[in-house]
Amino acid sequence: MKSILLSFALLLTAQLSAQQYLTRQGNISFDAGSPLEDITAKSESASAVYDASSEKLGVQVLMTSFVFKRALMQEHFNENYVESETYPKASFKGLYKEGRAVGTLTIHGVSKEVDVPAEIAVQGEEASLRTEFPVTIEDFNVEIPGTVREKIDAEAKIVVDCTMKLRK
Amino acid sequence: MIRTFFALALLALSTSLCAQDDLFDLLEDETPQTQIVYATFKGTQLINAQTNETPGKGVLQYVIAHRFGSFTDDYLYNFLGLDNAQIRMQLDYGLTDKLNIGIGRSSVFKVTDGFVKYKMLQQREGAAHFPFSLTWNSSVNYRGARFTDGIDHFFSDRLSFQHSAIFARKWNANISTLIAPGIVHWNLVPSAADPNTTFHTTFGGRIKLNKRVALTGEFSLMSNPSLSDGTTFTVPGGIGVDIETGGHVFQLHLSNTRAMSNPYWMSRNTFSALDGSLFLGFNISRVFTVR
Repeated sequence: MKSILLSFALLLTAQLSAQQYLTRQGNISFDAGSPLEDITAKSESASAVYDASSEKLGVQVLMTSFVFKRALMQEHFNENYVESETYPKASFKGLYKEGRAVGTLTIHGVSKEVDVPAEIAVQGEEASLRTEFPVTIEDFNVEIPGTVREKIDAEAKIVVDCTMKLRK
Repeated sequence: MIRTFFALALLALSTSLCAQDDLFDLLEDETPQTQIVYATFKGTQLINAQTNETPGKGVLQYVIAHRFGSFTDDYLYNFLGLDNAQIRMQLDYGLTDKLNIGIGRSSVFKVTDGFVKYKMLQQREGAAHFPFSLTWNSSVNYRGARFTDGIDHFFSDRLSFQHSAIFARKWNANISTLIAPGIVHWNLVPSAADPNTTFHTTFGGRIKLNKRVALTGEFSLMSNPSLSDGTTFTVPGGIGVDIETGGHVFQLHLSNTRAMSNPYWMSRNTFSALDGSLFLGFNISRVFTVR
């Protein structure tokens, strides 16, 4: 009887100590430009979640939330390149361990295992995630027609900057 | 008592396990979101008809359009009709993401036109769902061609107007349609028996074949398709292909129209495809981001 009570209490505390951090206003930007064309976009509504005890880290962004300087470029990005209607989201699901994010990156419906440098700084009730890494656009089956190949970098540099708040 | 505890403990355990597994579910935003439907059509015009699209804010668009000679008019001698091209040039600018103004010049009747286009409503998906887009288009058209009736005409005699409400819907990623009811007003008509104002409804649509190529089609009906002098007007229409490459949209088409300013193709078209009056044509648009 006592042991059951004890285990129950233990369970309760374990659950309480689960430190989960979450945001829905994370920043993700990318740069796939070249000297010929400035191709940058930023989303300010990415979701990020981090569980300090299990070291699980997840980031997700709606493709249509990326804002470009040119409306037409934004339309083409969604319509012709990442096909947002079919693949509305990009995500990372994995673990954060010792300055690296290891897990599955999904863009354009294609999942790839990645291991990239990342930094999570926990300060009080906030955890800030920052990472910067390149992705090869062709790896995710995003088709680039020959006529614009010189204008688009084969590698897009992705910058993630999310400040997550402790969930209570 | 012990059983209850067990049950409770199990419950707690299972929920805590669940919470662990579903951490990534937190990424999904429960708050419903609204998404404006973009790219209903590739171009700001379909063939002759205006679509609901406007160039974005700070975008300067240049459109050059040709309608070649008829298939029945010595086709090889006239180099597939290219020797008899009618042309229209258009320059327009997006003052905001919704408001677009522009000017154009057509060779048929030497018409200079000015137009205003405004996105009044936009189709939306999600929480604040809205089923269609509505864009207003108005143009004023000045006939530059000399009158041959020997009468000294007023400036106002040369003017005609067109207004239409373009209802468009993107049914899915590949299929979009539009219905555009509107009016055309001529300040000068051949006789008092002819109405100055006629009612029109334009129907159009597109089917995307792949990411950058789409099939298009349109036709337009009018309320009084004849004049008191016996002239009858045909239903203007055409089919075409949209090809998009970066900042360009190429639209190649076959239509029974040669005039390209709105009142002229809508309400003064006498060509009939049944008589072989079918014309090859194209519109090419190029956009420049000025802002």
